[in-house]
Amino acid sequence: MERTEVLVIGGGLLGCAVAYHLARGGAGVHLIEKDQLNRHASGQNAGSLHFQLEYRMIQHGHAVAARAAEALPLHLDAMNSWAGLEDELGEPCGVRRGGGLMLAESPEDLALLAHKTHLEHTHGLDVELLDARATHELAPYLSERVVGAAWCPGEGKADPRLVTHAYARAARRLGARIETGVRLTALRHDGRHWLADTAAGPRLSARAVVVAAGVWTAEVAAMADIRLPVVPVALTMTVTAATRPLVPHLVQHAGRRLSLKQSAEGNILIGGGRAAKFVQQAGTLDLDARPELRLDSVFAGADAARVVPAVQRLPVLRVWSGATSLAPDQLPLLGAVPRRPDLYVATGGSGFTLGPTYSRLLAEQILTGSTALPLDDYSPARFGALNFV
Amino acid sequence: MNTTTPDLLVVGAGPAGLAAAVTAATHGARVLVVDEQPRAGGQIWRRPDPGNPGPDPLSAPAYAAGRALLTRAAAHPGIDFAHHTTAWGVFATRTAPDGWAAPPGTPVPAGPRVAVHGPEGVEVLLPRALLLTAGAYDLPVPLPGWTLPGFLTVGGIQALLKGHRTLAGRRIVLAGAHPLLLIAAAQLVRAGADVAEVAFAQHLPAPADLIRAVAALPGNRAKVAEGLAALRTLRRAGVPVHTRTLLLRAEGEQHVTAAVLARVDQDWRPVPGSARTVACDTVGTGYGFVPSTELARQAGCAAHWNGPAGGWVLDHDDAMRTSLPHIWAAGELTGVAGAEHAVATGRRAGLDIGRSLGLLESAAHDRELRSVETELAATGRMAAFLDHTCAPHRAGLHALADDDTVLCRCEEITFGQVRHTLADNPGLDTADAVKLLTRAGMGPCQGRMCGPALLELLHRETGLPRETIGAFTARPPVKPLPVDALARAHDATTTPESPTDAGPVAR
Repeated sequence: MERTEVLVIGGGLLGCAVAYHLARGGAGVHLIEKDQLNRHASGQNAGSLHFQLEYRMIQHGHAVAARAAEALPLHLDAMNSWAGLEDELGEPCGVRRGGGLMLAESPEDLALLAHKTHLEHTHGLDVELLDARATHELAPYLSERVVGAAWCPGEGKADPRLVTHAYARAARRLGARIETGVRLTALRHDGRHWLADTAAGPRLSARAVVVAAGVWTAEVAAMADIRLPVVPVALTMTVTAATRPLVPHLVQHAGRRLSLKQSAEGNILIGGGRAAKFVQQAGTLDLDARPELRLDSVFAGADAARVVPAVQRLPVLRVWSGATSLAPDQLPLLGAVPRRPDLYVATGGSGFTLGPTYSRLLAEQILTGSTALPLDDYSPARFGALNFV
Repeated sequence: MNTTTPDLLVVGAGPAGLAAAVTAATHGARVLVVDEQPRAGGQIWRRPDPGNPGPDPLSAPAYAAGRALLTRAAAHPGIDFAHHTTAWGVFATRTAPDGWAAPPGTPVPAGPRVAVHGPEGVEVLLPRALLLTAGAYDLPVPLPGWTLPGFLTVGGIQALLKGHRTLAGRRIVLAGAHPLLLIAAAQLVRAGADVAEVAFAQHLPAPADLIRAVAALPGNRAKVAEGLAALRTLRRAGVPVHTRTLLLRAEGEQHVTAAVLARVDQDWRPVPGSARTVACDTVGTGYGFVPSTELARQAGCAAHWNGPAGGWVLDHDDAMRTSLPHIWAAGELTGVAGAEHAVATGRRAGLDIGRSLGLLESAAHDRELRSVETELAATGRMAAFLDHTCAPHRAGLHALADDDTVLCRCEEITFGQVRHTLADNPGLDTADAVKLLTRAGMGPCQGRMCGPALLELLHRETGLPRETIGAFTARPPVKPLPVDALARAHDATTTPESPTDAGPVAR
């Protein structure tokens, strides 16, 4: 049996970042990842640093939007975290904060943006509603169809290829142990320690366990006999061949599932949450299988050309699917799991954008028992009613 | 396209695809063959565009069978061809297409959706059976100088000659391990090129003895005759043909000006002091072929590693069925084995597709099966012999690249950069993970050029089996596709969220 202080399950951005912050705080950390680091949502998303409320949060009515806005303090924190991340880690992460636009193509879109910016202002986010003229002055690459936008100067992008590995290397330098190809098969508490069995290696023993397992969060929590309402969501991303500098901003859309940005190498990345489809085995979702792409989502990615016409001429190189996880109320699921000693979880939407913040706060909670920003609203305790044990 | 719902859709109009199309159509199937090229024939039976005058490259005796098959396929009323058309994605192979998004009452048949891009834009085809016969491409071998203009593969040189009546250069060195080098060299000589040398890396007695050994194999006389004729042509032209000779690098500033060759031992290690420089403006390498499995793997067909047969080849059963329902594969995708064997596997697949579509009585099926199996056995012996004698020595080729050699030409990533990344990131050991972190394999060729070499590099550096390292995950579109073409397909769909699950895209 191998002993450690904190066992982290999952080698995505959150897992590696929690390992980094824990190691920096002096804790002994052992991270296990069943595949390669950065192999799933952390490396498959399109790298948006979006601090405005997203399309998925504002399209279902004011009540849903207001609830989602409760996480805006985390957005503000994340904006600062990304600004200093490359210096902190001493590693390139492709962070560019050129500002972000959420576009409107219709009066309905404009109304959504107006309500959204109002909500955001009450939480202190620096965001401004631009009319058509101001939008086109700022972003001459946009189509005339665009009639306005919400402008958030703190938004931008980071490179999902690099960030997780940067955290992992920094964590290793601080003494964290990070292992890949190690799959958790059982997790139980013996009254004093957590005992974790893995598919091939020895049994691991830890004082605390962090579940940073993305779409597998519910599966891992179930090993500890805890039900967590984590909903896997399969999404579609598209990338074009590299081209000249074209789009300096993060571009999102108020009325459609669309995000767009240009990578440092010149590729246009198109995301925004177009659906992919989970594969099933005997009626059960197979989270280990790559979600299958849907043709309509593949076609819809080309819709980016409607708002950025120059994209039309570019060749599409790849369309791929990835899976992320959401809580039913679209808020993060972050903190200690009630009725399980020293079991922590970190997941929920916007795991890339908010990852640096989630991970720092969670490490703070594990190391000191309290956090600079209150986590109560995001605590797994809000789903305590689902667990009778 | 005349139909979006053929009984059988064949992707690739080469030997395997044509043979399958003729077999299935003969039994009554409505067949659609899509191919990227302007004319049917694949790489081996490539001809100039119809408007391009001059002698037919298929007039040589070795191509008699090909000519006959092309003629039969073109004349068959049950076979339609869609040229200049790329099949770029296969969808709904692992999940069922949804009926809820279709207009009420619209039937939503099960089975794969095949997205193609042709002169009329993007279309979605719904065949009852899908046969993948995408063929193979030359194994790219990164070595110093391989990115210089004038450095080609022998298949590329041959395509220029057959398809465009164009000589790739004035003074050409061909180097590699595959007998195609002899055939291509003879074709170049007949077309007026100066072939400076043909270098085989194998430790073999001599090409002539090799050909004689092949002659001992029954059922492959045409192949043997072709090789002997090529050798005679080269001898008459005074072209040196060397064995145990490996291309170490190409030299030149703006263009290839020389090839550096050396004697090698049986593990393809250069004999010290044996390097010599041959002046030339063109180098062509021919180390064998890589099966074009991208579309099949994108669809979700299982593949496995078989080095002598070209690398990743598709899992298939005796009837050429892949691991997925409704999808068959034939030809080089199931192991590189040459045109004759491709024809046999195509016939085998066509026969099984006919049976599975309910077009053949079992007695008729069994009768024809016996003849196909005889052909498969004969052509398979030849393929096995070639695998044994001509497989590339992957360790020997890997050793040619140094840290400064470009591995991924699209993204300009060197071997040294990948090695550095591996050292910096313990545990990083799959092709996909290395691709994501280094960008090797992310460019317009989608990893076709660097994939085999990166796999070899990871295999050598990590000691892991190639199956563990894996291939790059194949994503659609398997060849780059303009955003505009997808946008028009998107506009053509009526309801905004999910219309294409309902059926073919209306134009």
